[in-house]
Amino acid sequence: MTTQTVVLQDVRAVFGTGTRQVTALDGVSVTFERGRFAAVMGPSGSGKSTLLHCAAGLDRPASGTVSIDGTRLNGLSEDALTRLRRDRIGFVFQAFNLVSALTAEQNVALPLRLAGRRPPAAEVTSALDAVGLAGRAGHRPSELSGGEQQRVAVARALISRPAVIFADEPTGALDSVTSKQVLQLLRALVDEHDLTVVMVTHDSEAADYADRIVTLADGRVVSC
Amino acid sequence: MLRRVTGAFVAVVIGVALVAASTLLLASGRARVPDRFAATPIVVAGPEAGTPGIPFPPARPWSSADAAALAARLAALPGVAEAVPDRTFYAQVSGHEETTPEGHAWSSARLGDLKLTAGAPPARPGEVVVGEQIGAAPGTAITLLTASGPQRYIVTGVVDAPLIFVADDVAAELAPGVRAIELRLESGADADRVAAGVRDVVGTGGRVLTGDGRGALEPRADARLRWIGMQVLTGTAALGGFVTVFVVASTFAFTVGQRRRELGLLRAIGATPGQVRRMVLGEALAVGAIGSVAGLLAGAVLAPAVGRILVGARLEPATFEVRFEVWPVLVSLAVGPVVAVLGAWSAARRAARVRPLEALREAAVEQRPMGWARWVLGGVLLAVGIALAIGTAATDEAQNGATFALYGAMALVTGVTVLAPAAVPPIVRLCRLPVRTKGGAVGLLVRESALTAARRTASTAAPVLLTVAFAVLVAGMVRTSTEAYATGRAADADAGWTVVPQDGVPGLSEAVVAAVPGLALLPTTAYVDVGNKVEARSVAGVDRPDLTGDGVVVLAGSGRRVGETFPVVFADGTQVTLRVTAVEPDGSLPVEFLVARDTVRRHDPSALTPAIQLAERVEVPAGTGARVVDVATWAAEADAEEDRLVWVFTLLLIGVSAGYGAIAVANTLLMAAAGRAPDLRVLRLTGATRRQVTGFVLAESSLVVLIGAVLGGAVAFGALLSIRSGLSEQVGAPVALVVPWTVVAGVVGLCLLLAMLAGVATSRRAWVDTNRLIS
Repeated sequence: MTTQTVVLQDVRAVFGTGTRQVTALDGVSVTFERGRFAAVMGPSGSGKSTLLHCAAGLDRPASGTVSIDGTRLNGLSEDALTRLRRDRIGFVFQAFNLVSALTAEQNVALPLRLAGRRPPAAEVTSALDAVGLAGRAGHRPSELSGGEQQRVAVARALISRPAVIFADEPTGALDSVTSKQVLQLLRALVDEHDLTVVMVTHDSEAADYADRIVTLADGRVVSC
Repeated sequence: MLRRVTGAFVAVVIGVALVAASTLLLASGRARVPDRFAATPIVVAGPEAGTPGIPFPPARPWSSADAAALAARLAALPGVAEAVPDRTFYAQVSGHEETTPEGHAWSSARLGDLKLTAGAPPARPGEVVVGEQIGAAPGTAITLLTASGPQRYIVTGVVDAPLIFVADDVAAELAPGVRAIELRLESGADADRVAAGVRDVVGTGGRVLTGDGRGALEPRADARLRWIGMQVLTGTAALGGFVTVFVVASTFAFTVGQRRRELGLLRAIGATPGQVRRMVLGEALAVGAIGSVAGLLAGAVLAPAVGRILVGARLEPATFEVRFEVWPVLVSLAVGPVVAVLGAWSAARRAARVRPLEALREAAVEQRPMGWARWVLGGVLLAVGIALAIGTAATDEAQNGATFALYGAMALVTGVTVLAPAAVPPIVRLCRLPVRTKGGAVGLLVRESALTAARRTASTAAPVLLTVAFAVLVAGMVRTSTEAYATGRAADADAGWTVVPQDGVPGLSEAVVAAVPGLALLPTTAYVDVGNKVEARSVAGVDRPDLTGDGVVVLAGSGRRVGETFPVVFADGTQVTLRVTAVEPDGSLPVEFLVARDTVRRHDPSALTPAIQLAERVEVPAGTGARVVDVATWAAEADAEEDRLVWVFTLLLIGVSAGYGAIAVANTLLMAAAGRAPDLRVLRLTGATRRQVTGFVLAESSLVVLIGAVLGGAVAFGALLSIRSGLSEQVGAPVALVVPWTVVAGVVGLCLLLAMLAGVATSRRAWVDTNRLIS
């Protein structure tokens, strides 16, 4: 098995057309290894979010290749890409992570249901347990604090045993105490479950939890 | 989910209720078996006649001799106790003109098991049995209006049905033609087996009617009313279905628009586009299925009430009653899910196109307001709508016109709704000046949010568009055509007087014709064999020097030449060979051919003259069921009847569309406003006063109503202009476009009021939310 979970090669991403064209990624090549916690940093507009979107198959690059766990994303159909996300990738966004009509438990089980599998209760419980929320399984997002919501999102990301979890500013909307809890959780998952985490952040304290920091500026990797 | 789809649910419930009520009434609108046939399981009717020229023709009659011969053969069949020719002639009790103007032979009452509640059967000329409702005791004298004139009759008995019976011999003279033969069976005889035997005897010479099939013998006037009622009900059901699809579509378009982030999240964590589409459609299906059941129940309650209204409006005969059949129930249950899925279809497609990245975006940046598919679809719908509008203008029949206009309006409304996002920016810019000078920050906000979300603005305006377009179009169409016919009348009506029947009397008797001068046409129906089919022809008897004996005047379109002869069967069942004495250009006669007035009278004792034109005013004898009016009044009254039917049709449709539209307006605006709550909070937190927030919401709602009203008005006026040009050609004079301003003002005002209420409700909610947020 490869230790290179996510590989981006010479990825270029361009937005807009004509004179309003913006190059968000300008030939980025970067590799994220298995069992490592990587932070992607850089000032606003440096392309760090675009990098995450391209790496996770949420956005298609203008050129270059992306592969996850040995699967090349280029040329995959929308459905195939969706299945890949469902089975191999977990997501934690800055906010609005959960479906408001569903309980924590149901939110966690959602990727399995979407895959047409019946979510085993034990797996859902253990995922919630892993994020320390086993007791709040029946609560809806509106009854949970911001930090708890993020931890439910992490539990959901864990449920499909993904190759990699992408986190986009996961602590951006949290206070420093709850930020710390979420970051410690991600750190523990990498250490104890051999997970791969790629986290975009502009917060250097958050980046301190990572094994490695990739810094972007103007769409290029300046250090890694 | 429940709150999100409430609007769609309500729409489905109302739509299905309308469809259920209409289809239940339609199913009930089958011909009713006349009372006098209630106890005769088998009735043999004359052959059905095709109708190129006249609606609802009676069956071709047998002559008395033929009927007697056939009855004798039928009576000889095993199981048949008695076979009696049924005779129907014109008669009504003077002062009781509201009942069906028909008299029958007493033997029909006997076979129909109608029991005398007092007195004895009629036996001699001048004796009659009437219904209890007349209030005439046996032995008293009454006046019967007949084709020859008012006649004195002695009541010998009364029955428990609003019918008139005379002795069989008398009936045979008044109705020499027989259109039905009633069979009474021996007790214990198997009706089906007897019917089979009867069929063998009758062959192609008649129809063997059993069970509900006997309803084919209902009075012609009832059949015509039933037909008009069916047009109204079909229109209502179609409109109900259409508006439901429309409202469901706008509700789902909305919820999908508001859930983009959630849908994006689902896409990001592994929902395929197909799953998202199926999810939206599944929601629609559930809403449709549950709504169907509720709507069906509401429709079942509604149907009898609407039925009474239709009877009251004389759109259904008085005998009409609601029968609960199976098929309307099944249709109604199917309608809900089908219209809900149809309505949600495009929203589901758009939901499936939501990209996973949209979960990460905050702002409601819309995709291009107009895709090419939208342009094409909108264009096609507009073209269909315009074609139908032209069809409206071209058709002669007022009823068809109304139906065409309705379907045309549906296509136009949908087309304009589809194209509306393209029209939003210009309209918003048009009202830029007043809003800016008056509104300051509020004006800016209203304008910019309407422009950035042209599609949202357009779909909020859609129900207003629908309501205004239908109300204005339908009302304007009716007013304009009324004006047009008035113009047409003014063009060809010369001063003079007309003798016409009184209310409830079908025509003028010979007594009236004899008492006044003037040309008295005597219309009847004749039957010709075309190939192996029988066709009915409209004929009129007229006093004309060139028409004597067997002479006939035909139209050029018939292809016949002077001197040619051809056979026809008259109402008394006798065949007469007519000889063509003149051929006149098509369109010059009110009927298909003319014969001598005597000829008609000889063969159809029940024929009546519809009206007599006079140059000078004359007096008509009292008690003959006739009156004299001037030509203008007469023409106005003739149209008034037509107009009254069209108006009932119009009011029903405006009621359905405007009432339903108003609900849709309130629903959509509330939904839209609920979606704006976060914006309102931001507005409030950035320092807007409560007044400013309310002002913003009200201004936005008004803008939406304005956009809807402008577009809906454009649809209606476009269609009205094409109707006008068609009408001008039809009446041969320029026709003024009548704009029903009161309807316009009323409908727009209603929408505005609803918009204001919805707006105030939301800004209050936002206010409360914000206060909670701050504290």
